[in-house]
Amino acid sequence: MNSTDKKWQRLAAAARQAPEERDSTAPYGFAARVAARAQAAAPEAGLPLERLAFRALGVACLLAVLGVLLNLNPAAQPAAAPEDWFFMTEDPAAILLELT
Amino acid sequence: MPDDAPFDLPGCLARVRRRDQAAARELVEHLYPLVIRIVRGRLPRRTAEEDLAQEVFMKMFARLDQYQGAVPFPHWVSRIAVTTCIDHLRAQQRRPEFRWADLSEQEAEVLDAVTADEAAARPADALAARELVDKLLGQLKPEDQLAIRLLDLEQKSMVEVRELTGWNIPLIKVRVFRARRKLRQLFKALENSERS
Repeated sequence: MNSTDKKWQRLAAAARQAPEERDSTAPYGFAARVAARAQAAAPEAGLPLERLAFRALGVACLLAVLGVLLNLNPAAQPAAAPEDWFFMTEDPAAILLELT
Repeated sequence: MPDDAPFDLPGCLARVRRRDQAAARELVEHLYPLVIRIVRGRLPRRTAEEDLAQEVFMKMFARLDQYQGAVPFPHWVSRIAVTTCIDHLRAQQRRPEFRWADLSEQEAEVLDAVTADEAAARPADALAARELVDKLLGQLKPEDQLAIRLLDLEQKSMVEVRELTGWNIPLIKVRVFRARRKLRQLFKALENSERS
């Protein structure tokens, strides 16, 4: 240990002799204030009702997405009947005139 | 409950987890001496000790669900207190370099006494010594400051420092080595400024 380290050790020893006059018990009202603030700030995710509400929200979102998908599916649209195709591709008036 | 009855920490924690406000108050009152001792030893300048203690307790309650019981609960809380103080010390600017002329008369006397290998005996000298130590340690990095404070001023063992801070032993040794090297430089700078 060099001389500077010894100086530091002597200084630290002198500082340790300083009396601690300050009270180390919690000041009046401190614990109540901190406990109230902590409880106000704490998230309540652990409550069963809230967990249930979150699950219900998830199920509702899933149902909404499924509903939209089902309504947009082209396979769900009614297919055109063969007669409709006939009238779309042929002119019935022209066919009748040709027959007469 | 009589005053000398041991504090039922596990029971109190279980009640706090069930959001019992009275239990939270009891827990704060029980841990306040531990927290305030850590806060007072590492208080950054211009920070009210009560504000810092409150911040420590708020963090403790916010993280209570993360406490798994791997270390004793007071050690877990002391680590929160230590890291909170270090964060505050980091956030503030480093003290400007101080010279002999910046020391009070009593601090200069104490420094003279330790330099001349005399013990500072009077209580006033002890208070001045503590002021001087705070000024010197204020020049160190927060982590180095904490390591040397715990070892040399609070006379904790390496194992106790590890439990309080969560740092491993080689890291503590590195921080103490760095702190002592910086202290040597500071003593030398003070002596040079005294001569000039």
